[in-house]
Amino acid sequence: MAIAGLGISSCDDGFLEVSSNDTITLDNFFTSESDLRVATAGLYGKVWFDFNDKFYYALGDGRANNIFAPYSDYVYPFTNFTETSLTGPLVSAWGSFYNVIGQANNTINNIQASGSGVSEEAKKAALAEARFMRGTAYWYLASLWGNVPIIVDNAAIVNNPVVPTNPRNHVFEFAIRDLEFAAKHLPLEARQNGRLTQWSAYGMLARLYLSYAGLHNVDNRNGGIRDTEYLELAKKAAEKVCVESGLELNESYAELFTLDGNNDPESLFALQWVGGTTEYGITNTQQAYFAWSSEITGDDAAWGYYTFASWDMIREYDSRETVRLHSTFATYGAEYPEINQAAGGYLYEETDRANIKKGVVGSAKDTEGVVARMNSGLTTKMLRLAEVYLIYAEAILGNNASTTDATALEYFNKVRERAGMPSKSEITYEDIRYERRIELAMEGQYWYDLVRRSYYRQQEVLNYVNDAQDRAVQYEYDEATGTYIEGDENTAQQVATATAEDLLLPYPESELVQNPLLREDPVNYEFVEERINLFQ
Amino acid sequence: MFFLLSVSFVALSQNVLVKGNVTDDMGPLPGVNIMVVGTSQGTITDVDGNYSVEVPADGQLRFNFIGFESQLVSVDGRTEINVQLQEDVQALDEVVVVGYGQMKRSDLTGSVVSVSSDAIEETVSTSVEQVLQGRAAGVQVMQNSGTPGGGSSIRIRGISSLTSSTEPIFVIDGVIVDGSTGSNSENVLASINPNDIVSMDILKDASATAIYGSRAANGVVIINTKQGEKGKSFVSYSGYYGVQEMATKLDLLNLQQYAIHKNNRADAGIVTRDNNFIRPDLLGEGTDWQDELFTQASIQSHNLSVSGGGENNTYALAAGFLDQEGIAIGSGFTRYNLRGNFNADVNDWFRAGVNFALNNSEQQVTVEDANLIKVAMKQTPNVAVRNADGTFDGPDTDMYVQTNPVGLAMLRENENEKTGIRSNVFGEVKFMEGLTFKTEFASDLGMTNTYRFNPSYSFGAITNEVIESTRTKSYSKFYSWNNLVSFDRVFAEMHTIKVMLGHEMQKSQWEYLSGYRNGFVSNVGHDLNLGDATTSDAGSSSGGNSIMSYFGRTFYSFDDKYQLTATLRYDGSSRFGDGNKWGLFPSAAFGWKVSNESFMSGVSAINNLKLRLGYGAVGNANVRSDYAYTSMLAPVTTVFGTGLISENMANPELKWETTYSANIGLDLNMFNNRIQFIGDVYYKETQDLLLEVPLPAYMGVEGQGSVSPPFRNVGSLENKGVEATLSTINMDRGDFFWKTDLVFTLNRSKVLSMDTETSTIDKTIQEGSETTIVTRTAVDQPIGQFYGYKVIGRFNEATDFYYKDGSGNVQEVARPEGLDISETGVWIGDYIFKDINGDGMINESDRTYIGNPEPKFTFGVGNTFSYKGFDLNIFLNGFYGNDVINYQKRWLENPRENHNLYTSALDYARVEQIDPDGPVDIRNTHITGGDPMMPRLAASSSNANNRLSDRFVEDGSFIRIQDVSLSYTLPKDWISSVGVDVVKVYAKVKNAYTFTKYSGYDPEVGSYNQDALMTGIDNGRYPSPRIYTFGVNISF
Repeated sequence: MAIAGLGISSCDDGFLEVSSNDTITLDNFFTSESDLRVATAGLYGKVWFDFNDKFYYALGDGRANNIFAPYSDYVYPFTNFTETSLTGPLVSAWGSFYNVIGQANNTINNIQASGSGVSEEAKKAALAEARFMRGTAYWYLASLWGNVPIIVDNAAIVNNPVVPTNPRNHVFEFAIRDLEFAAKHLPLEARQNGRLTQWSAYGMLARLYLSYAGLHNVDNRNGGIRDTEYLELAKKAAEKVCVESGLELNESYAELFTLDGNNDPESLFALQWVGGTTEYGITNTQQAYFAWSSEITGDDAAWGYYTFASWDMIREYDSRETVRLHSTFATYGAEYPEINQAAGGYLYEETDRANIKKGVVGSAKDTEGVVARMNSGLTTKMLRLAEVYLIYAEAILGNNASTTDATALEYFNKVRERAGMPSKSEITYEDIRYERRIELAMEGQYWYDLVRRSYYRQQEVLNYVNDAQDRAVQYEYDEATGTYIEGDENTAQQVATATAEDLLLPYPESELVQNPLLREDPVNYEFVEERINLFQ
Repeated sequence: MFFLLSVSFVALSQNVLVKGNVTDDMGPLPGVNIMVVGTSQGTITDVDGNYSVEVPADGQLRFNFIGFESQLVSVDGRTEINVQLQEDVQALDEVVVVGYGQMKRSDLTGSVVSVSSDAIEETVSTSVEQVLQGRAAGVQVMQNSGTPGGGSSIRIRGISSLTSSTEPIFVIDGVIVDGSTGSNSENVLASINPNDIVSMDILKDASATAIYGSRAANGVVIINTKQGEKGKSFVSYSGYYGVQEMATKLDLLNLQQYAIHKNNRADAGIVTRDNNFIRPDLLGEGTDWQDELFTQASIQSHNLSVSGGGENNTYALAAGFLDQEGIAIGSGFTRYNLRGNFNADVNDWFRAGVNFALNNSEQQVTVEDANLIKVAMKQTPNVAVRNADGTFDGPDTDMYVQTNPVGLAMLRENENEKTGIRSNVFGEVKFMEGLTFKTEFASDLGMTNTYRFNPSYSFGAITNEVIESTRTKSYSKFYSWNNLVSFDRVFAEMHTIKVMLGHEMQKSQWEYLSGYRNGFVSNVGHDLNLGDATTSDAGSSSGGNSIMSYFGRTFYSFDDKYQLTATLRYDGSSRFGDGNKWGLFPSAAFGWKVSNESFMSGVSAINNLKLRLGYGAVGNANVRSDYAYTSMLAPVTTVFGTGLISENMANPELKWETTYSANIGLDLNMFNNRIQFIGDVYYKETQDLLLEVPLPAYMGVEGQGSVSPPFRNVGSLENKGVEATLSTINMDRGDFFWKTDLVFTLNRSKVLSMDTETSTIDKTIQEGSETTIVTRTAVDQPIGQFYGYKVIGRFNEATDFYYKDGSGNVQEVARPEGLDISETGVWIGDYIFKDINGDGMINESDRTYIGNPEPKFTFGVGNTFSYKGFDLNIFLNGFYGNDVINYQKRWLENPRENHNLYTSALDYARVEQIDPDGPVDIRNTHITGGDPMMPRLAASSSNANNRLSDRFVEDGSFIRIQDVSLSYTLPKDWISSVGVDVVKVYAKVKNAYTFTKYSGYDPEVGSYNQDALMTGIDNGRYPSPRIYTFGVNISF
């Protein structure tokens, strides 16, 4: 007995070590350059899923009144300014941005801690990829919530996660630092199609600089003046992409939004979803929320009948806008031969709405199995060359009322010409606003355009959303004129009047409960890293 | 035959009158039952113990009294027979199975409750935990789903963990089985045939459970199956056939009501007018989707067993079959059991045995997995189930409508098949009198296959073209090996010592493999090879953990008056990192048999009085992850190939969760054991809770691609309670016997601390895209309380919108943030919510605790009546003071909704203008009808009258006639001539009737997926059926 007992106890340690076969422990990873690529691959899709699923368009287009969805509890609260700290997509987007940040932080910290076998250069390139993602997520947070906590090391604060917020300007500057690092260290050409390049970072920087120009050294929210230093930075960053990258717009606007257009050279940053699978979390679910009939998707996941272009969006389209309208919204009589090919294509015949086409590509049969239930297989456009062209023009316009600058006109008109629209010889802010809204409709951008404007022309923006936009108005196709005409007000939901507070979103409820400091004043962030001057 | 007749003739002719007196060692015994053997005649003794009875002179008398050994006396012509009965030590001292051994009940110092196989006979139980429901004090059992083979939540003395499992472990013939599944349709215990069980002993307090140390925090249920007996052999058959039906049906709108209401909704501007409903009076009843989905269903069970033994060995063999159809189409459960055991006394000093149990079950879970009960309640009566050609029909649009639940239930394949082999083998060496060594190896192998197939279909406008199939296989292996040395001796007739030392190793491993394809050419073949290979998706995962333990138990009894049990267990778990693997769990308990003291000798009314006092600690290593102590990277599929993201935040400091508990108990037997009482009071405190720390989402811990928060040892919670078992023999006269068993359980739980003062654990339900917090668990509060708004009234008239504050100023009554007083904002007929924080508006900060799912107490009352061969048993089960959220009422009673509704929704507030030509103003608006607490029907839902509020919280108290069984045992002399020992026929009703105020199907809701923090939320729970069965037991 005693011998048996001794024998047993001596193998205790072995018996109580059970190793895992379905995960990898951190200790034995990050030892080669290919490990680094594996570590950054995860930052392009799943971590953004909850943002992409609904918030991307519900906020970016829904709140800006590009779309109207009177019966959807995931769009109308944003359109009607009745969202609360519990509104589903708001809560999940907040979580998603911080998942991007958390995973990027872990990747950054793991790479920095990784040992031999990995060159400094490869490390920096991988760090740049992670920092691009983190910086972009912080830009969203700063734009949407303003003051938010800047988290750089999740493990370090896990024991006391009750941290203060940091001021919006500091969040912007933190994001800018991340993207400047990314611009310096990302490769000129992507190792794999769809991965980030230097141009991605310069393009994103251009957007951030342009936004921040309304905040940096600007105290008067209605002063109408932006910071010239940052307008200049925006111009330089955009110039890098426009002039140096060698990239050109795809000649076909329509093709960009097909599966063939995934990672077109024009795409500078797109979320990468995996086609042909239904595995939740790695799929682009948007088609399921846009498709208005199961004839389109070939399955029951087609919930978009009541999610369609707003009246204000439909009337915004210039009558000559055939190219961009056809790719963005389905209007009466529009034909889509690529959808429901078995039945010879799809003819849109609804008269009291214009459903969303951008993001809708058809069924599994139409796409050789790339589409699956709740998965379009499309990448999600986060930044396109066309937008950088428009940023370039806007940065040149700067604080002027209009410009005839040749460079600004060149790039601005490239966007218009591609869409079959006549060139302009002078550009105002209104021209840029129109162009951005139409060009980037259903790409989740217009609300951020309004927010960017509100930094220095707040009342103008509030007047625009409250008075000019005719939210909740319905419309109908008029056969006689071949146009849409205004209808009654939809009474299903009350449209609240937007105030300055509505330019920011409320923190999610559970965050407020768990961290009372979110209600307190923000605390300055202590920057430990010098800015990189990219444009010496 | 002639012989029998002649004997009785002779006997009749020679009757004599016998008188006498019956005593025990204390004096005369009243109420003793005296039967003339071979007849149904007899008498009982009077208060002085005297009796008289007529008996054939050569007959025999049998003296029976509860708690005493029965005596058989031959008359032999005597006319006076005095008898002294001996106390039946065996009856009082039933043997109770404790961890790694047995004890006499009178030697127990801990809290142990036993449920015998009699209880199983009284009920229709397809799974063993159903027997425990209401029959064991301190044990609360709720079925989480009524689906055949579905799961239950078992709580022994409350909830002792917040994020780990709260289910007890089951020790079945020495094999440890974990009761947790985390699913509504799955039930670990469903694999066991209740018919095989001989006893269930539930260990409750730390002094009883500590011997299972590491795994005993939620209590232990020890189940032993039937074994053979030496010298007797039996062949038995038992079987029943039954019918099941819905116990209650809810009132939903018929077609006419639906049409009228839809017209009203069109008038209110909510929907466009339906041209089919212009003349509702011409419409019929339409489709009753409850009737279509639910049906009468059969249940049958057959069991055959053979047992027996020779001089040196015993054996038992059994085979069982159960087939339970579901009362909802698309559900059902079939089980096969085979079992055998063999024990042999090899020689004077060596004993060995083996035990095998094989089970195989098939379960259909389409209804549960696709939430079809909710769909059936919501599907509208204007939609037909089938087209004229027999194919399934559906709604004529695919927007905002329900699918055809009957079609899905019948077309979809969603089944699982489980196979398990539980076995153990032991050898026991007796070194000398009282010193033995036992080694036992036990294993439990399990295989589960699941089959899912989603065919193409078109139900009206709802179509599905994608034909998909998923197949999964999982395999689990558990084994344990333990070695015990026991020493059992009595010294100097006064000192009883029992010592047990042991060592045990346990290991669990599991693996999982799944495959998926779509693109099937037809709905006929379902296997993956018929799908499109390019759509293949495969995955696998695995895991495992191990526990190593050393333990010992000492029992010392002095003069059968003072008893002490001390237990120590030292456990190591693979789930913790170096330095934290081991935990030490001691316990001690003291018993004082007051009735054995000399000063009690004069108190004849008390047979047994014992006080018990115990204290001890048990551990819990049920971290959900096997590797929470280290950092893991999880694979994620990307277009760039496999990527890796962080899976968890590690906590290398993670250690055992420990529950400390104190118990005071009292055992009292009175009036010759006609009254037996066991009462316990306890206090349990769980410390170092293994909590997946609730972190704010900005820590990157919510949703897809998130990191799971670290498990930490933070916080503590308490459970305290009282429990009592009272058994009384109310009548034992002649042929008539009446016994009552009463079980009472009271528990209060509370969170004492968490990682921060403001930490909360919120549980949510997602319905469409709406995610609602339904329960909140926070410091100083009971666990898992409902959380939401309070409705304090309804705006009935203009003055309701204003009130005067303390200084006499007129203030506006709080409205939801951002809403004005208007028809599209807040209006007459909308609810007034309580402004909890008093800031003048209603928003999320005005939510509060609106109900507690924990019952104030639960009870069970069983009454058994026996007369001659008849036995009638009526068992009631009750819950008092628990709240239930009728979650679907948020939609089914919301008059605005587009799907079908409860008829109560028609009682919405009728809001009208006082002066029809007057202005649209609250002063010109009044309510003319409807239920005083129903909201208005309006185009705007701005006020969100159906937000989760106390309107949907109902009193879940109930008393249920759980089981009624009537059986008749055929007299021996009828059947013995054909060589049969026992024939018993019976009829039973299960879930006969429920007295409750709850308005849903069934107030017994249980916990959602066994999550203790999601208890009492009725979100389309599969209702438990009412079951009528008829059966027979034959043994020969």
